[in-house]
Formats: sequence, C-alpha cells, structure tokens
Amino acid sequence: MTNKQQNRPYLNRIVLFLLFLMLGISSFAQTQRFPKPEFETGYTQPSPTTPEPQVFGIEYLDVLVLVLALSLASWLAIKKRSRKGIMWLSVFSLLYFGFYRLGCVCSIGAIQNVALTLADPAYAISIPIILFFVLPLLFTLFFGRTFCASVCPLGVLQDLVIVKPISIKPWLQKALGLIPYIYLGLAVLLAATGSDFIICRYDPFVGFFRMGASFTMIFLGIVFVLMGLFVARPYCRFLCPYGVLLGWMSRFSKSHLKITPTECIQCKLCEHSCPFDVIDEPTEELKHEEKIKNRKRFTIFALLIPLWMFLGGLALSGLHGFLAKAHPDVYLAELLIKKPGLKNDTENLDVQTFLASGKTMEQLVHEASVIKAEYYTGSWILGVFLGLVIGVMLMNQFVVRKRTDYEPNKTGCFSCGRCIDYCPVKK
Amino acid sequence: MNKNEKIKTYYNVAVVAGVITLVVGFLLLFNYLQMSGTDPVESKALDALIQRLDDDPGNSQLKEEIRNLDLMARKAYFTAKWQIQTGGWILLFSAIILILALRNYFVLTNKIEEPEKNPVSENAARVISSRWVLIAGLIIISAAFLSSFLSVDYLSRYETVDDGAKEQADKAVEVVDLTEEDEKAVPETEMEKKEEAVLVADTLPGDVEEEESEKVKQNREEQENTAEVAELKKEKEVVNQPKSLTSDFPSKSAIESQFNSFRGAWGNGISKAENLPLKWDVGAGTNILWTADIPISGYSSPVVWENRVFVTGGNQKERRVFCYDTASGKLLWNNLVDNIGGSPSTSPETSEDTGLAAPTSVTDGNVVVSIFGTGDIIAFTMEGKRVWARNLGVPDNHYGHSSSLLAYDGKVLVQYDTNKSGRLLALDIVTGETVWDVSRDNRISWASPILAEVDGKMQVVTSTAPKVAGHSIETGEELWAVECMMGEVGPSPAYANGLVIAGNEYATLAAIDPAKGEIVWESNEYLPEVASPVVADGLLFIATTYGVFACYDVHTGNKYWEMEFDEGFYASPVIGDDKLYAPDMQGVVHVIAIEREGKKLAANEMGERIVTTPALLDNRIYLRSDNKLYCIGQ
Repeated sequence: MTNKQQNRPYLNRIVLFLLFLMLGISSFAQTQRFPKPEFETGYTQPSPTTPEPQVFGIEYLDVLVLVLALSLASWLAIKKRSRKGIMWLSVFSLLYFGFYRLGCVCSIGAIQNVALTLADPAYAISIPIILFFVLPLLFTLFFGRTFCASVCPLGVLQDLVIVKPISIKPWLQKALGLIPYIYLGLAVLLAATGSDFIICRYDPFVGFFRMGASFTMIFLGIVFVLMGLFVARPYCRFLCPYGVLLGWMSRFSKSHLKITPTECIQCKLCEHSCPFDVIDEPTEELKHEEKIKNRKRFTIFALLIPLWMFLGGLALSGLHGFLAKAHPDVYLAELLIKKPGLKNDTENLDVQTFLASGKTMEQLVHEASVIKAEYYTGSWILGVFLGLVIGVMLMNQFVVRKRTDYEPNKTGCFSCGRCIDYCPVKK
Repeated sequence: MNKNEKIKTYYNVAVVAGVITLVVGFLLLFNYLQMSGTDPVESKALDALIQRLDDDPGNSQLKEEIRNLDLMARKAYFTAKWQIQTGGWILLFSAIILILALRNYFVLTNKIEEPEKNPVSENAARVISSRWVLIAGLIIISAAFLSSFLSVDYLSRYETVDDGAKEQADKAVEVVDLTEEDEKAVPETEMEKKEEAVLVADTLPGDVEEEESEKVKQNREEQENTAEVAELKKEKEVVNQPKSLTSDFPSKSAIESQFNSFRGAWGNGISKAENLPLKWDVGAGTNILWTADIPISGYSSPVVWENRVFVTGGNQKERRVFCYDTASGKLLWNNLVDNIGGSPSTSPETSEDTGLAAPTSVTDGNVVVSIFGTGDIIAFTMEGKRVWARNLGVPDNHYGHSSSLLAYDGKVLVQYDTNKSGRLLALDIVTGETVWDVSRDNRISWASPILAEVDGKMQVVTSTAPKVAGHSIETGEELWAVECMMGEVGPSPAYANGLVIAGNEYATLAAIDPAKGEIVWESNEYLPEVASPVVADGLLFIATTYGVFACYDVHTGNKYWEMEFDEGFYASPVIGDDKLYAPDMQGVVHVIAIEREGKKLAANEMGERIVTTPALLDNRIYLRSDNKLYCIGQ
C-alpha cells in the first residue's frame, strides 16, 4: 500500500465531514424571515411548495457548495478520470441542489434574472444568483461541461435514469438542436420584458424535487423521465437553454475531458460508449471534388447568413403581438377588449384586481401598447439571432477540422466520463 | 452469486418494482382525478341541508348534521391528499428500485458492440444534416410568418375605436335637412315601406324581408285599412310641412303635461297625471286598454307625447326604435338604427340584464331621440323620418350603457360615463351637433341625469362615483359637487323641496343642498342599488333590490315607515295622482299611498317580469315588459 493510498481514508472522512457540516449549517439557516403564527388548535403549518428564502448571508453557502462541487467535478473528470466519482457526486448534487434546495436557485433559471436585470435597472438581482449564472460558465470555459456532468440537478437526474440509451441519427440531433436556441431566445425575451420566467414555469423536474406541483409539470416530468430511460438526457440535449451557453464556452475550453489519457490506439471500443452520441471519429480523407463541393457549400451558406438573419427578424417581428400576450398586462388588456363583459365576472381575479386598482382601461391599454412596442424590438432581435443560428449551423456543417483520434465533441460533451471506462489505455 | 443469477435477480426485481410503480402510478392518477373535481366545501348535499336550515333556523339536529357532514367531507379530502403524498413517496421509491435494477440488468447483459462495417461517410452525414437543418430553419421561419398573419391585434383595434372618438363623433353627425322636401331626404322605397309598416302594425314587422314575404297578407289588410291609412297619410302631410324645429321646442308646462323622458318630465319620477287606475287585471283584461308586442326586447321605459308612445329594442344583430299609437296600440313605425358613421361592426358585449337597449328615449314632441349600448344616438321625427344620427364612441361599459336621455331648451343631455372617461354632453336636438362636451373626473356610472331648478335656473344633476354634481345647461360647467358616492352608481338622483337626493348601495343616501353644495342629512339604513329615489309631499321613497320599500322625511331624513316585499325592485317608482306606482321584479305593480304611514293600496300582477318604469298620463299607465307594451286605463 502506497502512502497515497494510506492517506485516502482520511481524505474521504474530511470530505464527508465537510459535507455534513454544510448540510447542518444550511438547515438552520433556512429559517423564516417572519415567524409563522402559532395556532392554539394544534394546526400545523403545511410546507410551502416553493423553497424557503435563505437568511441574509447564508445564501452564499449555496455558492460555496456550488464552487466545491464544480471543482470536484472538474477534478474527477479531467485529473482523476473517475466515472464512479462523477456518479457519486451526481447523487450528492441531486440530493443537495435538487431535493434539499428544491431546485432553486438554479443556473438555468438564473438566465432570466440576468436578462431582466440587464433590461430593467430597477430589478435588483442578488449576487448569489449572478454567481450561479457565471460560475458554471467560467468553469466550463476552463474544464468543459463538468457542471452538466455532476452538478446540475436536472442533468444528473436524467443521467441517473439512463437505462438503455438509443442512438439518434446525426441529422435529427442537428435539427432538434435548434430548439434550445429558440427556448433560450424566448426565455430571455420574456424575462427582459418582465412578462414571465418560462424556464422556471415549465421546469419538468422541479415537481419531483418539491414533491408536488401542477398536474402539467408532474406530467411533463414523468414524460421526460420515461423518455430519458432510452433517449439519454432529452432535456439537456434538446431543450436546455443554459446548455447553449455552456456549449459555446465548452467549445473553447482550455482543458477538456479526453477519452484517451495519452495516445489513442484506434481500438474503436469507445465508438458507441457515449449515450449522447457526441464522440467524434477521426476524420476521413476527402476526395478533391468533395473538398471543392464543400468549399462551395460553405461559401453559399456563409453568404446566406444575412438573409437568414433578415428573414428571421422579419418573421419574428410579425409575431410580436402574439408573443406580447405572455405579458399579463397585454393579456388582460386584450382580453377585456375582446370580452368587455368579463368585467362582470366576479370570479376572475385578474379582472377584479384591475378594476379595484382604479386604473382606467385607457391606462391599461397604453401600458400594454408600450410593452408591445418593447416586444417589437425584442422580436426583431430574437429573429435575427435565430436566423444567425440557423445560418451558422448550416455553414458549420462544412467546416472540417482534422482529427486523428476519437475525441469527445467539446460543444456537446457533458463530461460524464462514461467513455473513459471503455478506453483500454489508462496511463 | 454468478452473473446469470445476478441477471435473473435484477430482472425479477425490475419486474416487481415495475408492477408496483405502474399500480401506484395508476392509483395516484385516479386519486388525483377524483380529488381535483371535489371541493369539500362545495357539496350539493351540504347545500341542500343548509337550505333546509334557512327554512328552519332553530333545528339544532339539522345543525349537528351539517357539522358532521362538513367534517366528514373535509376528512375525506385530507385523507385523499395524504394518500397522494404517501403514494408519491412509494412511487418515487419503487421507480428508483426499478431504474437501478434495469440499469444493472442492462449493464450485465450488454455486450461490446462491434464497430460498424459500412458506416455512413462523415461527409455524406454532414450533407444530410445540412438538409435537415435547412428544412427545420425554413419550417421555423414559415411557422413564424404564418402565425403572425393569424394573430389578432386587439390593442390596435381598441385604439381605432377610441382614439379621437369624440372628434370623429362630432364630425360624423349625419343630418337630414327637414326644411327641404321630405321626399328627397327619405328614399321613395323607404316611404313606401313605412306606409306598409302602418298597414301591418298588428303583425309587428321585423324588417323589410319579413314585410315582403307577407305581401299577400298585407294586401288583404291594406283593403281593410284604407280609411285608416288615408287618415294617417293626412296626418303625416301636416307634420311633414317644412318648419324650423328649434323654434318649436315646447314650453316647460307643455313638457310637464307629457311623460317625455325616463321618469317623466325632468327625470324626477313625478307626473301631473290624474285619474290613474288603481287596480287592473291582465288575465281578465280588466282596465287593460290594449297590449302590443315589441318585436325586439329591451329595458328602456316607454315615453309618451300626445298620441305617440316610444320604446326601443336591441340585440347583437340590430337596434330599433318603435312608435305606437296611444289610442289603439298599433305599431306606427319601427325604424332600424343603422348606417351610422363610427358605429361598431360588432356590438359590445353586455350583461343580460342590461342589453343594448337599456336607456330610455326622450322626445320634445318634434323629434324622438334614442341612444343604444353601441354608442349610437339617433333622432326621428314623430312620423319616423330619420333626422340625424351619430356615434358617441363605443362605451367601455362592462354591463352595458344604461343612462337615459333628457331634453331641455333645444338640447339633448347625455350622461356618458364609461370605464374610459366621465362625460356629460349636450347635443343640439335639431342637428345632433355637440353644443358642449364636458370631461369629468369620475368613474363609470349607470345613472341617468335629472333637471333641477335651483335659484330659478335649471341645471343638470348627475350622480356618479365619487360625486353628485350640478352642471350648467348652457355651458356644461360644474356648478357644485359633493363627494359622497362610491361603487357602481345605478340609481339616478331626485330633486324636490330644494334638495337633491342621491343614493347608492355600499355608499350612502344623502340629501344635498345644491345651493350650498353641502349634505343636509345622510342615512345608510336602506340604500337603493338600481331603482331611483322619488319625492312627493315632503316624503322620500326608496325601493331596494332586496325588496324593502322605505319612506323618509325629505327634510330631516327621519324614517317614517318601511315595508317588505317578496321581490326586489329594479324599476324606479313613479308618482302620479297622489299614488306611487312601483313594479317589482316579479311583475307585481304595487300601488302605495303618499302618506306618512305605510299603506298598500293595490298590488296588480302583470304575469311577467317588469324592470322598467311606467309612464303616467291622464287616465293611463303605459308599462313595458321585455317584449310587451301595456296600456292600462279606465
């Protein structure tokens, strides 16, 4: 037994002790800002379905746990190359960020807070939320998507339920890969206009973490879990808006998980090891005519990018009226214009609240029009962005980077480390 | 345990966990669906018991029964909730076991896949992918384009209707010049139609098509009514003589001798009529002079000028003004309200108990002016020739516009308080042009204006939230205001003995001195919600929607008496011939003595709902139900 091996039990114990210490601290820190009333009848307060607010200052504990988890995940993926370690860290993250912190604060949802604070200076964003948004991106820029591998509770939940993953054709992956960009764009637009936080509203897994949610959310969650048994990480691959940002960062990551620690022996054992189909094979030598054709295609698609951007902007700008309905004021104004009789509906709380506010219909319509104008600008930006994404994605199909070994695709790889176990080269 | 045994174990565990997961999942779903449709406090059985308790409040056994049932329902609800929660945990646990077992099973049974022998070339895969990205991109852009064409922009629709509505409405007055030949102003065919309308008054024609389809019937009736037609034509010729309508505005005494607006002359609910019937019987026809059908329902009250009685009707399809002969009840004309600039193509939605024809018309003996829930206001001569029409802007009114019109000194007075703004307008009764249009800082109201002679000068008095105010008839300027109202003001004010009486449910009942602009007394024991107060002989009468009728001293606010009826009152009571006539919602017209002691003189059942105010003229009462006009007299 080496000295290193002898020291390991102590290291494990220290890590375990620190983890339990953190859990203990955070549990007492999660107190009410205002004490709950006490009833003499013995009535017990039910637990809220949304997480308790953290006492001031203690929210940084979540940030500390995040930093530690990210560091550990990066170390396990790049240095230690331990799939088992990544898996156990996943379990911890699922329990802590998922079931214990009830899925909030989460880096994916933080996109909306950041978008709103950039659009509305009056919106005060807390530093922990900024850190939750920035830190995973920063770690990804250096170490790849280790956050997805074993820190993100949504990701690890899906990762842990993978049973028999099927391979999805590359063309389908590419086409479905457009969805996260649309979701990201919509989420930013809706958040920036103060309309809604759709990422949180339609989070499919938060219902599990909180052991209760609306029927739609639970249903969505069950669908994703069942799908996830065979299509690995469906939310991460085809929906997650934060995954878009992480993919961009990871593409330029300094150190990234490698399948082979030294030199690839081209054994092809890892070829089908990835449940997410993100292992790039060594590039084939193209014929001269094919190279010429690819260059032409590349040039055409590159030249078409401005057209895509214009078309996208034009199409989405026409949709601004429809999108603006997501804002409650626009929705209410249009509803009352369409059905003025609803003002008699005493059970419609939105209408009654508006009537009680003393605001005139004219004011409501004016405010709604201002929001709609914001949506017009926002929709143009969203359309241009989507056009750019489509254009660049088409162009990128013909950008060939030479590879001699089997490598994880830096943009799509979640750094889960499954491929490591398949590689016979250990040192 | 060897590999095969492990595989078998994991397989068995997966099967058992899978079955448990499925069963618990289905049970949970069933429980959830059952619970989502159940509200423990909304039980029919409980409601039935509570209703029984209302009839028998002292029944302690029933009370106990209600308590037990309520407790049981709540227990069942919380038990189901506990079951869902517990089931959720069982489901989670069994799902984890299932997934772990399956994972291990597949890990053990997995074999290293052999490399593909003929893999698709990477370049070919790229080309295919680019095609699909292109298709997906085009689908996204096309779907966005298509959706943008399908989405409806309601906000701009609102702006189109309301932006500069006042300005447009002023410009859009359509005036028919009656000083020129009448035949030019009204097309020949229309004239003919009106003559036909006179002929078939009994059949109550709805529109031109109906008239044409009944041509045979009309011809037969034409022969029968030749003499009558000749008489009416003669009468029409007299009225159609070129004349200046402005100079013909009747005197105060002439107006007071008629019942020309909502709640009579000046809108105060007082009529100078004499010899009014006390009792009648609709079923037996006793004291019922005639009845006539009103083809389109409405809640406007009848107004009468000499031998003409006018009502309006309206629905989402059309709005009409009806003129009946007071002698026979024949429908003399029935004019469509259409082709008005600014009138909305789709009528605004209204509540059922307001509709589009709730405001009562006004007449000065030369023209009759009617307003509708669409914002359309229209004037016809007494013979039914269209004089002018305009749209005041579609009222943003969640129940529907109901404020009735008044006329004085050549002006039609319109209280037009909507959710958008408070407005009081005076229109020239001859041309329809705006004389003045005052914007007011008040909330929406449904009350009608009244006229009050204060210090020898007539002024318009309105009741809105938050204030009761008097305005100059000449300029519309606010002369005085008292902030005492709140909520949705429905009852109109009343004026008598130098005091303005205004009241509303959830606000107050106040007597205001308009000369000083201050409250003389206030009470909040009985407050009107829809029906307006009325004053006679120093006595103030209040009719409530919950069936209480109260009488106060108008000077002091002291209550003299109160009576309770089975039904509430929507119709405003009116006074004539020293009697008060108050129809309740069930259709019973109560006749009450104007005395300091409550005295019921008669209760006459109409046999159908009545929510409109009777028009009282000598010997006669005109009363309207939704679709019928009654003339009651001796």
